[in-house]
Amino acid sequence: MARKMIRVLLVEDEEINRVVARAALKAAGGGGDVVDEAENGAVAVQRVRDAAAPYDLVLMDKQMPVMDGHEATRRIRGMGVTTPIVAVSSDGLPADVEAFITSGADDFTSKPLSKEKLGIILAKFRLA
Amino acid sequence: MSLERIVSRVTSNQSRKLAEGHKAIANAIGYLDEQFCQVEDLQDEASPNFVEEVVTLFFKDSGRLMSNIEQALDKYPRDFNRWDAYMQQLKGSCSSIGASRMKNECMSFRDSCGQGNVEGCMRSFQKVKREHAILRQKLESYFQLLRQAGPAGAATRPVM
Repeated sequence: MARKMIRVLLVEDEEINRVVARAALKAAGGGGDVVDEAENGAVAVQRVRDAAAPYDLVLMDKQMPVMDGHEATRRIRGMGVTTPIVAVSSDGLPADVEAFITSGADDFTSKPLSKEKLGIILAKFRLA
Repeated sequence: MSLERIVSRVTSNQSRKLAEGHKAIANAIGYLDEQFCQVEDLQDEASPNFVEEVVTLFFKDSGRLMSNIEQALDKYPRDFNRWDAYMQQLKGSCSSIGASRMKNECMSFRDSCGQGNVEGCMRSFQKVKREHAILRQKLESYFQLLRQAGPAGAATRPVM
């Protein structure tokens, strides 16, 4: 069933992960979503700063060149942005999760993203 | 990956080429995990070649990452942080398509990095390369057979 259209910022340096995430988002009922991509944290911060309308959700990878996900999350929060930020990483150790939450992320999910994981995230943040 | 589902498709389909395609995927069992099924489930009429596109991307990415690792092993001796960072990227790429055996070898490499074990890293990297080559072979066979099976193959591709 289609859901309301949302604006998503997908922050991920590896193209294959962006392709799979985009398809998973579409499969989670989001054929009409606006999905912007950023290949590193610095680009993500710029996208958030320059966005014409606030994002409804940010999916943030951890390890990226130029600026990593922790720093990007801190900077976005430093701008006063309250958009839900979900950390996405293959490292699911408690210390990694805690580091992301301390940076200002709202939640954490493991890579790779799937339709099911995205469904849970969207429901949690009332975007479904 | 469910062998039962594969077998049920094979027994219901008379196409020799399609059956061969299913056998190719059955052969890949152990090399690919449930994530590959997830990727297959993302294929639809709007993206009829999605799986092959993702796999092609994987081999392009992984080739580049493995080349980076090889260079790093040579140019930056005992730089375990650098080696680990590259291998983490490769591991992430493996996870995206469910390349489980290759991912496991990536994790062994990272364990060796954590232990400061150069020989362990070198051994693991050779295994990563070997698994990469085997997986490429298996997936190339699979897609080749699917293409030969034609639209019927695409319509009734094995659900793994």
